[in-house]
Amino acid sequence: MSDPATSPEPAARADSTRTGPGRLLVAVYGLFALSASARAGVQIATKFGHAPVAYVLSAFAAVVYILATVTLAVGSPVARRIAIVSCSVELAGVLAVGTWSLADPATFPDATVWSGYGSGYGFVPLVLPVFGLLWLRRWTRRARASTG
Amino acid sequence: MSSVNGAVPTTIIVAGLALAGYALLMTALNRRMSVILLGALGVLEILLLVEVGIIVAKLAGGTHPASLATLIGYLIAMPLVPVAAGFWGLLERTRWGPAVIAVAGLVAAVLMVRLHQIWPIIHV
Repeated sequence: MSDPATSPEPAARADSTRTGPGRLLVAVYGLFALSASARAGVQIATKFGHAPVAYVLSAFAAVVYILATVTLAVGSPVARRIAIVSCSVELAGVLAVGTWSLADPATFPDATVWSGYGSGYGFVPLVLPVFGLLWLRRWTRRARASTG
Repeated sequence: MSSVNGAVPTTIIVAGLALAGYALLMTALNRRMSVILLGALGVLEILLLVEVGIIVAKLAGGTHPASLATLIGYLIAMPLVPVAAGFWGLLERTRWGPAVIAVAGLVAAVLMVRLHQIWPIIHV
């Protein structure tokens, strides 16, 4: 419940979830938001019947990445809360879809971003939400400390 | 002919990885964005534009891959990578600016490998 107008933080005003290491996080999230949306868009528009489950999950992943990118870039207290939810859903998604894709490959004739725990993307989809949540936790603690 | 066509993507991979390595070194050494990094990013941009030109020439020649939509998406996205990374990295005044540039270098290299997968006549 920290109001930035009444509880000024000692750090520079530009300091936010999008600065410092957050600059890198937003860049990588933006990259995945863009590539996942483009990929899901092409898949659903051109060959939806081929692997409907995989393509719907691709689209869902794209939405989660867009949400995480925007909220991390905005960095307000409300945005941070939405970002925590997005990153948590993303982590749960990559773990669930990763396991599902290995247990039941028939459902996934075509890959999603989260298939095989993101192995097609160098496991970045698995690592990204962990770093996102760690980064956001630092901000939650900082906000708590500043409100007392 | 294929050796000429393969030279550009291969150069992009080498340049992208070298840029990523140098940029990560700058991050590790706690350096900010520099003119050298921006210059290297500019070289990468020119190389990517050359590659876009080569692919457009091949498309104009009448052949195209099975997934033309994906290829066109790549043609649009490729030249934007260094530009977006440059702007985003310049906004940062810490060691994490160069880290953003490192991502652009890695992405350029990965894009070349993916291009070859989409359209195998693009040699890497």
